Amino acid sequence: MSNRKKYWTNKIIRTIITAIGVTLIAFLILHLTPGDPARIMLGSYASEENLEAVREKYNLNEPLYIQYWAWISSLAKGDLGTSIRYNRSVNTLIKDRIGPTLVLTLTGLIISVVLGVVMGILAALKRNSWLDYLTTVQAIFWISIPSFWLGILFLYIFGLQLRWVPIAGMVSYTSVILPALSLGLRQEAWFARPMRAEMLEVLNQEYIRAAKAKGLKYYIVVTKHALRNALIPIITMLALRLPWIIGGSVVIEVVFSWGGIGSLLVNSVKARDYPVVQAILLLISIAVVLANLFADIIYTWVDPRIRTEG
Amino acid sequence: MSEVNVEEIKMELANLKNKKSSQLSLVWKRFKSNRLALLGFVFVMIIIFIAIFAPFLTPYKPYATDPSNRLMGPSRTHLLGTDSLGRDVLTRLFYGSRIALQIGVLIILFEGFIGIMMGVLSGFFGGVIDSIIMRLVDILRSFPVIILAMAIAGIMGQGIYNVVIALGIVGWTTYARMVRSKILSIKEADYIEAGYSIGESTYSIITRYIVPNAIPTAIVMISIMMPTALIASATLSFLGLGVQPPTPSWGSMVAAGRNYLLQAPWISTSAGFFIMFTVLGFNFIGDGLRDALDPTTKH
Repeated sequence: MSNRKKYWTNKIIRTIITAIGVTLIAFLILHLTPGDPARIMLGSYASEENLEAVREKYNLNEPLYIQYWAWISSLAKGDLGTSIRYNRSVNTLIKDRIGPTLVLTLTGLIISVVLGVVMGILAALKRNSWLDYLTTVQAIFWISIPSFWLGILFLYIFGLQLRWVPIAGMVSYTSVILPALSLGLRQEAWFARPMRAEMLEVLNQEYIRAAKAKGLKYYIVVTKHALRNALIPIITMLALRLPWIIGGSVVIEVVFSWGGIGSLLVNSVKARDYPVVQAILLLISIAVVLANLFADIIYTWVDPRIRTEG
Repeated sequence: MSEVNVEEIKMELANLKNKKSSQLSLVWKRFKSNRLALLGFVFVMIIIFIAIFAPFLTPYKPYATDPSNRLMGPSRTHLLGTDSLGRDVLTRLFYGSRIALQIGVLIILFEGFIGIMMGVLSGFFGGVIDSIIMRLVDILRSFPVIILAMAIAGIMGQGIYNVVIALGIVGWTTYARMVRSKILSIKEADYIEAGYSIGESTYSIITRYIVPNAIPTAIVMISIMMPTALIASATLSFLGLGVQPPTPSWGSMVAAGRNYLLQAPWISTSAGFFIMFTVLGFNFIGDGLRDALDPTTKH
């Protein structure tokens, strides 16, 4: 087998193992404490009748491996289960709420990547200037501010005091600005600093000096030669930060009463509606696993020099 | 002439004696010259001081309600006003520093212990053990920390120790990865091979070379993980899944103040400020330490 083939076989086997592990964790989470899952879900005042009905419905009387198998089999058929609280299919609940979450997460992601990349490039080009210093300091600042508090500050200043934007929910296009900013600014730091480091590294390479020596214009050297290569590691960074961006969006949704998956998750955790919690945990983690695989594929595609051993 | 020579020799000897600590003093010198790092150090010291001396810094009790003084604005008697039950906000913030630091330290200890053990096992033994541990790391890291922690805290119930467990179950993976890669790189280093070649025992190699070389990584690791632990635990409390009221945690105070944002904005804003102040302190220190321990990474 060629190195390349071996690398990808390995990668895909690992991805499959991780995906299976993820389903196990999402399943086992309900059995984390020794108590009766039916009682955990219904609370301590539930009648024996109701408890038995829930046990029957969710196969809780069966051994664990049978429960897991039943869960996985219905997942394979595309059935995510039934919510206890809403008594509706989890599929419909998620379908109704995925849109707002995608809008928020993607807008936040775009803000963080664009801001981070631009600041990183400028800092590297103006190395040791006040701009470089500012990039470092603002990066530390943003990662030190809890996003839920940033959201509340934004709400207070721009929503309640200045009345520039709606304060909660999704009523107009401007609704997404504050939540996306609260989400994106905190993540921006994770792109700015690696971008700066990468850019500095690339600018020191032989081929950049050669391009300069050839008499190419500075901005052509920067955009055509340096930037293209410096951007590659940002792809990996994107996949690495994805879980954090999704996690951040859950909190932001609660702050801004954003009717997406995140607020559904928080409400379901509080209501102990575990079929919903398990389904959302599973969907998010599978998305992360696939994003990692996808990032690897793009990475080797744009930069064929990447080693494919091990 | 001979007098001078004796002086010089004495100085040489003194220098030789100091050599052992010179590495550390160099690091300290670099750290000291970093203004942001020093500032961070001051921030953290202030919070530790507040946590220790909270009862002496305020005339109020954190749980003492005063219904006639609800939602009072900042004044000379209540510097940061009062909350919806008439409790002094500043007092609760002071006592909140105890909760925050306690949770932060417990999380670091819990996840650090598991993570370092797993990382050492992985790095030293390699093979199947390494594969199993690293797959487990991959699996756990596919979940956003805060989301898995929410689900776990939701099942186990609220409280300080459950917050620590919920966050530690994912958090150890960061340590395990870092420790593993550090051990792998140290194992490959020339001085290890040199040690073996002059007949040093494995024990002596571990204690004399591997442990001292891994210490800077451990210090940097703690300074990186502390901010994460503080923010994540505050987030859980904010969502109502962490430390429960009336315990004065900063996260739950931000949440409580959110309902009175228009009448009493000082509750949420000041509680969040304390979180930011503390986290900023640790981040400045972490940044300074990283540069001081490894000056090649910057500029």
